[in-house]
Amino acid sequence: MDANSLLPPADASVSVQHLDFSYGSSLALKNIELEIPAHKVTAFIGPSGCGKSTLLRCINRMNDEIPGATITRGGIHIDGVDIYQPSIDVVKLRREVGMVFQKSNPFPRSIYENVAYGLRLRGVRNKASLDAAVEEALVASALWDEVKDRLTESALGLSGGQQQRLCIARTIAVKPKVILMDEPCSALDPIATAKVENLIWDLKNDYTIIIVTHNMQQASRVSDNTAFFYMGELIEYSDTAQIFRNPSVRKTEEYISGRFG
Amino acid sequence: MGIVGTSAVLIFLSDRQSHPTKHLAEMPHEDPHPPEPVHRFQKQGFSYENAIKFFFASNAGLTIVILALIIIFLLKEGLGFFPGYQRELEVYRIAGLEFVDISRKNLTAHEQITSVLNRTYYAEINGKCAHQMRRSQEASALFNAYSDLTAPTRDLIVSNSQPDSSPSPEMIASLRTNFEKQKSKALATLPPTPHLTPEERQALIESIRSRAFDATDDPPLVASLTTEFAEAREKQVKPLEALRTTIDTFESAGSELSSLVSELTESVTATKEKIQDADILEKDRKTLLAAASSAEDPIEREKLVSEAQASLAQKPDIEGPIRILMERRPACIAAHQSLKNAAATVSSQLPNTLTQPEASRLLKVAHNLWPLFLADLEKTPQKITDWNHLKPVALSTAISSFITGKDWVTGGEWQDFYGILPLAAGSLMISIVALTLAIPSGIGAAIYVNQFASKREQSLIKPVIEFIQAIPSVVLGFIGILIFGTILRDLSLMDSLSWIPGFPIEERLNIFTAGCLLALMSIPTIFSLAEDAINNVPSAYAEAAEALGASRVQTTFRVIIPAAFSGILAAVLLGFGRVIGETMVVLLVAGNRIKIPDFTSGLGTFFQPCHTLTGIIAQELGEVPLGSVHYRALFIVGILLFAVVLIINATAHRFVNRMKQ
Ligand SMILES: Nc1ncnc2c1ncn2[C@@H]1O[C@H](COP(=O)(O)OP(=O)(O)O)[C@@H](O)[C@H]1O
Ligand SMILES: [Mg+2]
Repeated sequence: MDANSLLPPADASVSVQHLDFSYGSSLALKNIELEIPAHKVTAFIGPSGCGKSTLLRCINRMNDEIPGATITRGGIHIDGVDIYQPSIDVVKLRREVGMVFQKSNPFPRSIYENVAYGLRLRGVRNKASLDAAVEEALVASALWDEVKDRLTESALGLSGGQQQRLCIARTIAVKPKVILMDEPCSALDPIATAKVENLIWDLKNDYTIIIVTHNMQQASRVSDNTAFFYMGELIEYSDTAQIFRNPSVRKTEEYISGRFG
Repeated sequence: MGIVGTSAVLIFLSDRQSHPTKHLAEMPHEDPHPPEPVHRFQKQGFSYENAIKFFFASNAGLTIVILALIIIFLLKEGLGFFPGYQRELEVYRIAGLEFVDISRKNLTAHEQITSVLNRTYYAEINGKCAHQMRRSQEASALFNAYSDLTAPTRDLIVSNSQPDSSPSPEMIASLRTNFEKQKSKALATLPPTPHLTPEERQALIESIRSRAFDATDDPPLVASLTTEFAEAREKQVKPLEALRTTIDTFESAGSELSSLVSELTESVTATKEKIQDADILEKDRKTLLAAASSAEDPIEREKLVSEAQASLAQKPDIEGPIRILMERRPACIAAHQSLKNAAATVSSQLPNTLTQPEASRLLKVAHNLWPLFLADLEKTPQKITDWNHLKPVALSTAISSFITGKDWVTGGEWQDFYGILPLAAGSLMISIVALTLAIPSGIGAAIYVNQFASKREQSLIKPVIEFIQAIPSVVLGFIGILIFGTILRDLSLMDSLSWIPGFPIEERLNIFTAGCLLALMSIPTIFSLAEDAINNVPSAYAEAAEALGASRVQTTFRVIIPAAFSGILAAVLLGFGRVIGETMVVLLVAGNRIKIPDFTSGLGTFFQPCHTLTGIIAQELGEVPLGSVHYRALFIVGILLFAVVLIINATAHRFVNRMKQ
């Protein structure tokens, strides 16, 4: 079966069902039940070590490479397709589910090459279509004006915020359906953070975005829905406005008001 | 520097114990009064930490000083080479050796062609009687295998049973049983004889078995086959008579020039010796004068000066011998002309092909040598006329004849030449072979181990490769000679492999064997450094690539290897440095022929023996007189090696730094 046909282009919603996940013998996620709607920004919040990154990485199967790490129960469906069934091609899945990391990690190459990278991996050779795709991705990630005159310079010469937006450009250049972001602003200054947040808000129309964040304000600014995790469990999940104004669980309220975490 | 450091530490220790608060450096100089009490925040003396820092700084400084001393020493010993060599070349010219070498060069070419022609002739004859030759050889080989094993015991018995010796009967008996044992063992392990019929072989073995104990003649079959072979050859000689005569004519055409050259050789050698003796006396005189000028005691000085005066040699007569030499010019030119005429006729008389492939090949080689030979002969008379013994030898000539010299000839009776090319070519050829083998396998192994191997494979492969480094190179050389060289030669003798250029190889020890062993030695270097480089690529790159949907192989080859590229290049360079600097293996295995490889044989060039920059130093440095030109030449080679390796390492370093950025 072709994984592409399993993942229809539109409305990529993610559904996590009764998920248990463990690193070797230690259970990192317990019975997670979560419906993430398409074309919305969903924020994962919670204290350090509660399993936010782990869940995020389960969605594009980045945990596959970690020895001993397995899903022990339940699973994840993207648009109704179980992404852990054996017939799924992980490489194709990741083309649909892109990821932006906490620490910006551009390749030690030119800005152009970084953005064109994913397309080259898919065998795109045509210079004109590469150029068009690179420009489109850089425009979409609000970086075009800053770098259009130095596309051939090394990406490592960009500032931290620019590098992070370049990583976003690199991810959206291959036109995924879902973008996973793991604390994308944690290493950025407030101005760069604001740019990335604006970008996230703009991207919402075209992509399903899931963002892990430590920053309550950020979650309330950029997200439509928020999920609060604690010690590997999903404590509360609802509309962002609702969760910040009027959380229904006490643990959530304590966390949001800064009493721990 | 080390000593300074240590004594400073000692001073500091005693200082601290006796006057805990006083520190000389902090005393104001103008102030004659005792110092004011030190403030409690102020530093007091050396701290313990300072002492440790000082100790390590002095050690680091020591290594730098030693390196500088090494460089100074090398340069001091080496740079004297060029003036010395200049003088040697000057003597070479003044004494007329250079003049003789003009003619000798052609004589050598003549000899070379003659030898090729003779080989052609015998290749043709032996090729035609190959069948008889093989039969005879096989029968002899079989008999020899037997007698090699049994002869020592047999000789013992024979010598002990002489009438005048009185051996104990027990001893003879035990020797005899021993002999019988060896005999049956030898008969069980006889070599194969594919060209003898089974009956013949059986008969031969029977005749050996029933051989009289003290028989000295060959077994009948061996003898008859030898005669058979001789007769077959006899038959083949007839049709080739014309070729034989042609070769003989050519050979004798050189005799006039040959006797002329040996006559001149004698006279110029005598002149050269005279000049050299005068040089030595002159040097002694200078030493004496120098000693005199530094002597304190006037009587002593007087004595030294008069001694110096006494040893003032007469300037040797150069013009006389040269005049005689010049008188022989017309004879030389005439000899060349007659040789040229003979050579031109002979070349047209030679057949174009022969029946045997080997003979035809050799004939072609001879035909190819001919035009060059004739052209050289053509130019020679002019060279002879133009030659002038007073033309000065510049220092730059000495330098350029070192750098571009095609001969490294030392300790000869005639003239020493110090040309670096044969050695550099050898080192380079070996490096090419070694790196061609080591780069793919070293880097390939590094990529596999770091990227694809399971934990278990990693823990197996890495130590094994790194263990190779622990093998002492002399042991490796040993293995190279005994096993690898022999296997290679045996392989090259196999008919099915004769399509490989250079097979069958002439020399067991050659560029290829040395290159293979050096590859083995440099693989660990390349592997470890390349693996480090790959390992140092941040894992974020791999993660990013995977998140973009790159497969494992794509991640490795399109992200990780490019990111590690300069590190890998550095690994290759350091591997090259290791190969160039390695001494023991090349000394043992490269065959040590000081000659620029003959590149006309194509890839077969790699199966020729050679000598190397490192090998020559190791081999010759122990035997040369201290301070001689030859000694200094070896130092220059050392400096060259040092510079090459230094450049390689510096470049590698730059690559590594670039990667770290
Ligand atoms: N590669 C790993 N191997 C073993 N345990 C891990 C690994 N990554 C994370 N963990 C553990 O799983 C738990 C959840 O981690 P993580 O998902 O990174 O938390 P968060 O991103 O919410 O801070 C933590 O207890 C952490 O120690
Ligand atoms: Mg995390």
